[in-house]
Amino acid sequence: MELLDKLTILADAAKYDASCASSGAPKRSSKGKAGIGATDGMGICHSYTPDGRCVSLLKILLTNFCLYDCQYCVNRRSSDVPRARFTPEEVVRLTLDFYQRNYVSGLFLSSGIIRSADYTMEQLIQVARLLRNEHSFRGYIHLKSIPEADPALIEEAGRYADRLSVNIELPSAVSLTKLAPEKTQSSIKRAMGTIQTASQESLADKRAPTFAPGGQSTQMIVGADLSVDRIILGTAESLYGDYGLRRVYYSAFSPIPNSPASVPFQAPPMLREHRLYQADFLLRGYGFSVAELFDGTDNLSLDIDPKLAWALANRALFPLDLNRAEPQMIARVPGIGVRSAQRIVALRKLKRIRFEDVVRLRCLMDKAKPFIVTTDYRPQEATLESGLLRQQLRDQPAQMALWG
Amino acid sequence: MKLLRCDDDFSVWRGQARQLLLCAVPPHAVSWEDVDRLQLFSAKPLATYSVTGREIRIPALLLEQLEAAARYRMSGRWNLLYRILWRVVQGERHAALAGDADGSELHRRLKSVSREAHHMHAFLRFHPCLDDAELDYIAWHEPAHDVLAWGSEHFAHRLGRQKWLIATPHDGVRFDGEKLDYQKPCPLDWQQLAQAVRGQGDKLWETYYSSIFNPARLNPKVMQGHMPLRFWAGIPEGKLIQGLVSNARAGSQKNGQAEAVAAKSGKVIGVGRPRSAR
Repeated sequence: MELLDKLTILADAAKYDASCASSGAPKRSSKGKAGIGATDGMGICHSYTPDGRCVSLLKILLTNFCLYDCQYCVNRRSSDVPRARFTPEEVVRLTLDFYQRNYVSGLFLSSGIIRSADYTMEQLIQVARLLRNEHSFRGYIHLKSIPEADPALIEEAGRYADRLSVNIELPSAVSLTKLAPEKTQSSIKRAMGTIQTASQESLADKRAPTFAPGGQSTQMIVGADLSVDRIILGTAESLYGDYGLRRVYYSAFSPIPNSPASVPFQAPPMLREHRLYQADFLLRGYGFSVAELFDGTDNLSLDIDPKLAWALANRALFPLDLNRAEPQMIARVPGIGVRSAQRIVALRKLKRIRFEDVVRLRCLMDKAKPFIVTTDYRPQEATLESGLLRQQLRDQPAQMALWG
Repeated sequence: MKLLRCDDDFSVWRGQARQLLLCAVPPHAVSWEDVDRLQLFSAKPLATYSVTGREIRIPALLLEQLEAAARYRMSGRWNLLYRILWRVVQGERHAALAGDADGSELHRRLKSVSREAHHMHAFLRFHPCLDDAELDYIAWHEPAHDVLAWGSEHFAHRLGRQKWLIATPHDGVRFDGEKLDYQKPCPLDWQQLAQAVRGQGDKLWETYYSSIFNPARLNPKVMQGHMPLRFWAGIPEGKLIQGLVSNARAGSQKNGQAEAVAAKSGKVIGVGRPRSAR
């Protein structure tokens, strides 16, 4: 089979993994050295596809032959898709070529399970080893880890990769058993634990080789089972806490060709995925807990963002005086982000904050207005009932038409 | 009104600004001329103000910010920078903060400039030079701001000892495997070399781009927000976008599979299961 045909099939097979991040790697440079590749901690999106997704890494499967039969996956063994397999050398050549032309900042390699979990993992490691050792490649490498593989192989993978990921796949162990009969949540979590332990050991000993310095991430498929948002984010929260994950990616289940009856034929609204990412961001960056975001409800609202929903459910804390409030509380005001909150705090050391100052910081004033007090401003809406306020502030229906 | 020229060169401007501050010349009494729109009056030497003799200390961070903001291309770009410098020296330290009217404009320019450098690192495309012993890769790029000199070392970190050249309408840079050679204006032969490869296709990359796109999740507005239209001409995938969008819109795709894959015949992997009917 021609390389071009393999690329057609194995890029198509890899698109359902949402992650394409190339961030979190340590500073590396090839300036004046043999070999190529650099990382500086910041990711670069070298292109965007018409689905609005960032292209940062060459994201492909080594092969889409697979012995597993995960119902939500296009590459399950019972799926009637074209199959292909790259040789490790072909992946190396593509990576180096795409990197030098500045199309990508590295490689994100995953694979269907062939022969055995260990054999598959060895193949993935072989590609990374060739890139690092034979070609002195210092760009970003993200390897998908096969949870059932020998922990020693996962540890080896981490010596070459900047990031490792093990997909949690579904929010609950019950759903996983039902839809992915060959997988178990316990083996997935064991692999996450192996990665976390190896990473901590490497950090504790300065002389030890680095281990996946970009940390680990995972992906959860949304809408392939009936799990509600509270369960999804609860799983994410415990993964962040238990395994020190850098990121949990949420991938709205995308209908696949020849879909089995066990999974939906319809995709969930893309807005749901978007709201999950917003809520996830509040967990990671703003100190919110899942319990705070769900006040007796099961799902995030689609018509308003989760921070606004939280503020509307906690009106007693508002309006907030920007000249006095704690920085963490300012960041909890709808329409004001962490950066703007920091800037407000820096500015108020020099002068009293006026309404105009907040406008200049380019905060989302429509959202922020009912919740803030400045030297020259008190909101009229402060006494407005939350239900009415919500109606005024909800996203316009036009924004819901994400299907284009 | 004193009219000054700095040829859009920060170090020249810095020397002039220093002299003006020493002479306590207020911002409304001075203006910098644009390089591409010379005004009718010629620049007069700074005369009537005399040196006040006081010491002027500029915070290092402010100087850094002014230098970065100076890369923002617009007419009259230097005047704001002097006004902020002046105000900070007068004791208005918040003049450089985003909450201030001048500071807000400063930060807007800083953000645009760093975004434009990021755009260059992202969307510049190198083409291999097969028949030139002196060059491995060559690129043509059209940044909206003066980010090449500042942002080109990035590619030396990426490409090791490879020899490469980037040409733009304004300036150019060449790396011989050891050191960078920045030229302004861009030498004509550099521009010709780069323009010759500009827009060259690449079958492998175009295939990858078409295949990694999920037509069931079409969202061209988000794509264009991140990757402005002005870059599409310079990237091989640019010419594919319209076709991919309209095919997905036409409803040919209810699932995520690329058309080229759907056209191939499939293979169920037997573990004692019957092959499903197509």
